[in-house]
Amino acid sequence: MSTLARAAFSAFRVSMRLRVVSPWAYLNWLVFPMIFAAVGLFVLSRPGAPASHLTYGVLGGGLIGYWSVAYLDGGNGIQDERWNGTLEQIFAVPTPLVVILLGKVAGSLLFGILSFIPTVALAYFGFHALLPHVDALRFAISLGVLSFTFFAIALTLTPLFALWRWAFQMLNGFELGVYVLCGFMFPVAILAPWAQLIAGALAPTWATRALYASTTTEGAHDYSTWWFAAIAVSVAYLVASYFLYRLVEKHARVSGDLALA
Amino acid sequence: MSRVAAEAAVFARSTYLQYVALFQWASVRGYVAYKVLLPVTQILFFVELGIYATGRQNALYFALGNALQLTANAGIFGVIGTVANERQFGTLPILLGSPANRLVTFLSRAIVNVIDGIATVIIGLLVAVVLFGLDLQHGNLPLLGLCVLVISGTTAGLGLMFGSIGLVMRDAIIIANVVYYILLVVCGINFPVSSLPGPLQLVSFILPLTRGVQAAREAAAGASLQQVAGLLGGEVLVGLVWAFGGYLLFRLLENYARRGGLQEAY
Repeated sequence: MSTLARAAFSAFRVSMRLRVVSPWAYLNWLVFPMIFAAVGLFVLSRPGAPASHLTYGVLGGGLIGYWSVAYLDGGNGIQDERWNGTLEQIFAVPTPLVVILLGKVAGSLLFGILSFIPTVALAYFGFHALLPHVDALRFAISLGVLSFTFFAIALTLTPLFALWRWAFQMLNGFELGVYVLCGFMFPVAILAPWAQLIAGALAPTWATRALYASTTTEGAHDYSTWWFAAIAVSVAYLVASYFLYRLVEKHARVSGDLALA
Repeated sequence: MSRVAAEAAVFARSTYLQYVALFQWASVRGYVAYKVLLPVTQILFFVELGIYATGRQNALYFALGNALQLTANAGIFGVIGTVANERQFGTLPILLGSPANRLVTFLSRAIVNVIDGIATVIIGLLVAVVLFGLDLQHGNLPLLGLCVLVISGTTAGLGLMFGSIGLVMRDAIIIANVVYYILLVVCGINFPVSSLPGPLQLVSFILPLTRGVQAAREAAAGASLQQVAGLLGGEVLVGLVWAFGGYLLFRLLENYARRGGLQEAY
């Protein structure tokens, strides 16, 4: 067990060190969130706007940055190895692939969550905006649940991106659609009913809802249902990812064509 | 005359080759992802944000602004990508070693992307019409078309400026990402330029799109060419200045890259 933990930590440390020197990492956790936060705050913080609008402006950019790093950086866990020419070594080592990816995805999440620092600072110093009412405990739990949903998505996307490159292109093109469906910068409730149904199948939607609810006294506060829904959908992703990893193993070890995919 | 014809032939050939070899999205999946999905979701996101913040009556303001900003998708990503890809494919030293007229080669980088930018805006406007009921019945459509043409050209001018940096920088596409999204903040796409702090307003007026989008909004409301001539003239001028500045930078960095052997540096 301690060997596996050490392997996961090594993967975490190496991926963090690579991230620190990558300009792409800064683009995702610093530049994009700041730009989206700026647009959100300009649009949402009009004179006379309700406090709930401001909350979406304060947290929205950070959520977008967190998500971007989680799915781009975390989801490309195997793809990166392919580009770096280390794919075969990763599969040849005795450590299970999932342990290595666990460390890498954990690194992505830690880096991604930093997105909240510049965006909240922009909101405070640029727009004098603060969260009106924070239920600290429920906020922290909701953020933890949200992190779990991102973790599950990153682990699920990793084999998907490795098996089918076009999957990354499509999700990258649909990135702003995810912001819409997950309610990162405005509530999903304003969407058409069919869009809300699709949104319900995305685990972060439920966690985001709980997160925003913990910053206001208005509206429903059905935390346990939302947390449960977020975790249940995430577990479903993880179950699906199990089969995807089996497929990846097959392509890597049996047919040996993963590096060519 | 024969020299002009020869240069025109080089320009046409260069444009064609730029399309077949360097166009970023020359695959069905790539085009669908970045030229259909991205525009549709960008418009959806900002229109829904606008509806949430200001009410459904302002949806068209956001829809039109974002549909027009999509020209930058081709003008910025596409143009910067041509130099970045030239470097990545290893053909940059050959290009810089060729005797071809630099201005012709330089400008040919933009043509396909200007055309593509217009196509992207048409997709964006269709989305705005179908999903959000953008009503252009009372708009001056020929003038709106002219605005789209001008904006596509001016954003490509900005793209040429930043594309030149690709001569000495490995990850020039990062610049494309930053510039593309900054245009969303400072060019009056989602909120009026007057909402910005003073220094950012100054920045907005030296960038393409700001005047063009304003002119297009007025054209969509039925304005005549005379009413928006000043805005369009200013937009053209800004685009030309960026393109000319880009050409100067291209020549400067070309020499710098050649001296330092940076064309293939990774």
